[in-house]
Amino acid sequence: MNRNYILLTILMLVLAVGTLFLTSDDEPKQIDPEELLQEIIQPTRYVTTDQVAKMIIQGDPSLLMIDVRPADEYAEYALPGSVNIPLEELLNEGNMGYFGVPGVKVVFISNDDIRADQTWVLTKRLGVDGTYVMKGGLNCWMQTIIEPSQPDADAPSVDHKLYAFRKGAQIYFTGAEAATPEGDNVEVQVRRREKSNVAAGGC
Amino acid sequence: MHIHELNPWRTLIAVSVFVVILAIGFLTMPNPLFKYEKSMDESIEALLDGEDYFYPWELVDVIANKPDSIVLFDIRDNFVFGQGHIPGAENLSANTLTDPDNLERLEALRDMGVTIVLYGENELQANGPWMFFRQVGFNNIKLLLGGYEYYKANEDDLYSTIDDDAYFSGFPRYNYAEMAAPKDGSELNADQDNKPVQVRRREKSSVAAGGC
Repeated sequence: MNRNYILLTILMLVLAVGTLFLTSDDEPKQIDPEELLQEIIQPTRYVTTDQVAKMIIQGDPSLLMIDVRPADEYAEYALPGSVNIPLEELLNEGNMGYFGVPGVKVVFISNDDIRADQTWVLTKRLGVDGTYVMKGGLNCWMQTIIEPSQPDADAPSVDHKLYAFRKGAQIYFTGAEAATPEGDNVEVQVRRREKSNVAAGGC
Repeated sequence: MHIHELNPWRTLIAVSVFVVILAIGFLTMPNPLFKYEKSMDESIEALLDGEDYFYPWELVDVIANKPDSIVLFDIRDNFVFGQGHIPGAENLSANTLTDPDNLERLEALRDMGVTIVLYGENELQANGPWMFFRQVGFNNIKLLLGGYEYYKANEDDLYSTIDDDAYFSGFPRYNYAEMAAPKDGSELNADQDNKPVQVRRREKSSVAAGGC
């Protein structure tokens, strides 16, 4: 009967040693690849420059902008309140602490939207929720917020409303002079059938 | 007298049953469809190297000669694909990427050493799927810079785009600092350098915050 106990002991020891190999994976926690793909093909992660501008102007405390451009470009110009985490430093100690705070919307910003989107995919692989990508990036920011283009006089009224908001945002961000309306040149607002609800000048 | 001595085989039988159950468990463990082949660090490095792109002027050869070594996949949905696509491209909508048939085809192409070029309406649309496949071990997948929009705009003279840089991403197109400079002449973001941004971070401790 001793032989049986010895066999059992050996089996238990082998299994115990086996568990050591199970935990030797030092990669951080990640979501399943299939889950990641499902997230990737949803276009819900994009926010527009207008939405970001509105949140900045309103002082939305749930907004956290993360600028993923290199540090020297960030030093030259950055959106007010944004934090710089270049892509190569994403996994550095402490940087992951910015993500996954309940109730905080993290918006990634880069020159256009590719690098920001790449950062989004990488953080999503690590299981981070509540992250967004500013569509068009800073190039689009310049086109839409800093130097918005005026829609045609016969453009749908939503375009004119959007333009009015952008002009206001331009003043907020640059301190540009408000244009004085010319009294004798009042345009008659005609309500037209809107062809589409896509705002002009999107990126 | 110990209970085991009644039947000396009893322990052995119990052990065998135990081992068989373990073996069945391991064999029937669901085999995941994908596995990460690149670690996070490797993925970041690959992105910083900026390789694995397909340039619009390279399409000239693909369209004219239809080489067997390159396949174009259009990841836009079927309806948009029907309205126009790059000649010779196949439709592989993003939401059908995980269909077993499509996956089998992608794997077959990989094993044959065929280069797969993904494109969407713009570079952004195909960026996610492209990154995904690179991370799960499809090293033959490339991303068309500029996407369909750029192709469409330069359809007539694709080869001359070799000197163009409009399809490159990641570069500032304006001098931001100058463009957004305050109109009254004061320095932009002057107060940003000395005022650290207050950010709420996730708390590391698992201790519940004190109640009232």
